Amino acid sequence: MGTAPAQLFPEFLVDTFGLPGVLGEVVASLIGAAVVANIILAFSGVAGPWAKRKITAAFTDRIAVDRIGPFGLLIIPASAVQLLAKELIIPEGVDRPTWDIAPILLPASAMLGFSVIPMGQIGPLNIHLADPEVGLALVFAFASIASVSLVMAGYASNNKYSLLGGLRAVAQNLAYEIPLIVTAMSVVIFAGTLQISGVVGAQTETLATVAGFDIPAWFAFVNPFAFVLFLTANLAEIGRNPFDIPEAPTEIVGGYQTEYSSAYFVLFYLGEFVHIFLGGAILSVVFLGGASGPGPESISFIWFVVKVWGFFLFTQWARAAIPRVRIDQLIEIGWKGMLVLSFANLVLTAVIVGVIA
Amino acid sequence: MSLERPDTADDGAVERTPDELEALLGDLVVDRDDHLNAPGFVIRPDTVQETLSILKEQAGYDHLSLVTAQEYENRYESIYHLKKFDDPTQEVSIVVPADKDTPVSESAEPVFRTADWHEREAYDLMGVEYDDHPDLRRILLPETWQGHPLSMDYDQERPQIASLPEHANPLQEHHKDAESDTMFLNIGPHHPATHGVLHLKTVLDGEQVVDVEPDIGYLHRCEEQMAQNGTYRHQIMPYPDRWDYISAGLLNEFAYARAAEDLADIEVPEYAQVIRTMGAEMSRIAAHMLALATFALDINGDFTATFMYAINDRERVQNLLEDLTGQRLMFNYFRLGGVVWDLPEPREEFFSKTRDFLDQLPESIEEYHNLITSNEIFQMRTIDTGVLPPEVAKNYGATGPVARGSGVDYDLRRDDPYGYYDELDWDVVTEDGCDNFSRLLVRMREVEESAKIIEQCVDLLEDWPEDERNIQANVPRTLRPDDDTEIYRAVEGAKGELGIYIRSDGTDKPARFKIRSPCFSNLQTLPEMANGEYIPDVVAALGSLDIVLGEVDR
Repeated sequence: MGTAPAQLFPEFLVDTFGLPGVLGEVVASLIGAAVVANIILAFSGVAGPWAKRKITAAFTDRIAVDRIGPFGLLIIPASAVQLLAKELIIPEGVDRPTWDIAPILLPASAMLGFSVIPMGQIGPLNIHLADPEVGLALVFAFASIASVSLVMAGYASNNKYSLLGGLRAVAQNLAYEIPLIVTAMSVVIFAGTLQISGVVGAQTETLATVAGFDIPAWFAFVNPFAFVLFLTANLAEIGRNPFDIPEAPTEIVGGYQTEYSSAYFVLFYLGEFVHIFLGGAILSVVFLGGASGPGPESISFIWFVVKVWGFFLFTQWARAAIPRVRIDQLIEIGWKGMLVLSFANLVLTAVIVGVIA
Repeated sequence: MSLERPDTADDGAVERTPDELEALLGDLVVDRDDHLNAPGFVIRPDTVQETLSILKEQAGYDHLSLVTAQEYENRYESIYHLKKFDDPTQEVSIVVPADKDTPVSESAEPVFRTADWHEREAYDLMGVEYDDHPDLRRILLPETWQGHPLSMDYDQERPQIASLPEHANPLQEHHKDAESDTMFLNIGPHHPATHGVLHLKTVLDGEQVVDVEPDIGYLHRCEEQMAQNGTYRHQIMPYPDRWDYISAGLLNEFAYARAAEDLADIEVPEYAQVIRTMGAEMSRIAAHMLALATFALDINGDFTATFMYAINDRERVQNLLEDLTGQRLMFNYFRLGGVVWDLPEPREEFFSKTRDFLDQLPESIEEYHNLITSNEIFQMRTIDTGVLPPEVAKNYGATGPVARGSGVDYDLRRDDPYGYYDELDWDVVTEDGCDNFSRLLVRMREVEESAKIIEQCVDLLEDWPEDERNIQANVPRTLRPDDDTEIYRAVEGAKGELGIYIRSDGTDKPARFKIRSPCFSNLQTLPEMANGEYIPDVVAALGSLDIVLGEVDR
């Protein structure tokens, strides 16, 4: 622990394979991006058709998929074939380029967020594509493009339910993104940097030692209040219960995705899952010490997977147990509650850090 | 005993003899036409509002239970079946004849809001027109339908197709108005929250509901007509199962059994009544469990665990009903004069299974309370939304958990006893919140009361001497009630007051068979609850009404 961060993934590729010049860097970056994207796609592929069903079933006393393959795992290729083989129905009067771009934009924007996320190490390989100085700001910027996609889908679908869903998505994101980012700011004050490796690095020290166990200085332990705020705002950001109101199937059918079918529908679903995983990744970077965990640094990718999937499990738990709030209640919680609390947290953190430092 | 109703020193509850009522109405009464259940007064078609106002305000008949329209050889007739919420055994029928050629009579809508839909149905199916009705349109059939299917000159052989372009198609109108900034939205007939094929014509201002109008009839299956084509003895009993088909079958069968048995003067053996009562309460638990489950679905969204847990509990009671009746939904277990067969053998096994279910039930209820009713978000969503004040509920003829959730202390099992209910110890549940939350709580608490009833029935049945287990009275193979006998009888169904009006004409089939569906009246209150609220509250209010479209549309 506490060692200098390992080489970034593309640099590692350049060095290992001796790729020359700018072209070499571009090729290395592309390869790295492809690897990271595939990890995320694999996550989503497992989560969507299989894990989500199994988890929900466990919560609701059911069995779920178990007919094909061990634990029903072969449902994953089966679902992929089934979903992609469906007819793409294009309703009359949709606003064409917008309607087509929206489902691509959602997963793409969420996927972009992973470019700055350190995903831990497998052996000497550090799965981290880029580490710009404004990394944390960048990742929130990428994540918030998602709401643009939802508005596009809602508006272009020429469907009133979609429109309502799109409007709800904007209202919700406005109400929650500000507290989300302000809460993250309090962490930045602790870490003194927006660079993600810096934020993670600031969490490597030992906070306290209890019965021989070192408790790391994860910001979740340093400032649990901010952690809870961030977790709640994050649920709203990714649109899961109790804040799944842009979709709200029992109210507005499916919201912005009502009119989408086949591959476009898959893209939306994919986007949602990638978004959940991105939410988990941001949470672990900002509050849970990134990919760090017990054991050698070289297996820290496992800890990253555990944390991200832990967050996924949490969203599914919320989904099975917590009622959905109403749109006006959500706005109220966001603007009157969370915003105030997050600013209070920010000011308090600033004062404390100022006094100590 | 807990069944004693609290003293209501209300003038309205004072019972008046038929002659006193006739004196009260004075010149308005043209003739007497008594029914088996109530005195009947014939009035002129232009004095409906006056007569009903007097009865409502001066004699306390505040519950218009049903409007029945029928056609005779020489006239049409609308019957207003009035009751009192304080004492439903006090009944009176107001018979309004209308001219055979131009059947017009005055609407009762200004006096009782509930008459709105009931008269629309009478117009739709029978062709009686109501003067002064605010909105006399067809309600069950498409706007373009030709003729009135229950009237005598209707050609039942002629097929009619209401094509989409011909029918008033809401999709074609754009409902756009340059001036206003509201939006018209069709909710349903295919929508996850409508619990069946219901269409809500909704006008929205942003997320808020300006106006909502239920459009029903998508599941109309001519149940009244079919019952009129069946013989009393055997051919009608299967139909009630198909009205409220959410496993409330035995409760529905009770309604027909009660009406027909009173009509034909059949005495049911006590043992059979105990079995009926037990089975009916099992059905009630199953129905309320489904109401709870789907309400959780409406509030929590899909994938909620509560839904599956409640379905699981419903499944357990469903298994008991299957053991008892041999069927899972369409029981057809009651017969006029009793039930079709005795408890399943070995009896001990059935009793112990039932007791196991009852023992486990409090734990389940506790879990539901933990999962939903004690959840702050759930309370935030349901408390003080979908408010239905008691006076409004009465005016709309709301009954069952909907009325009891508004603090209207009205339960026919206690107030107009039938079956074996008056021998048992249980309580009528009411809540004063008048909101979505109260209606849910009433159902959850009623499940506990039903469990109490079942337990007492099981105790009774266990100790019943073997040689006195008489499940069926001696009923003639063919029933022919006397000519021109009329009766209206109601029971407490899962959703409220489920009534049946039968007029016999001396044959073995009813001349008129009219169903009073509680869901039909309850659904009518939706605009009162939903206007001015948010879309999610409309969905919640609809869920808390717990309608079954099979019963609304019949």
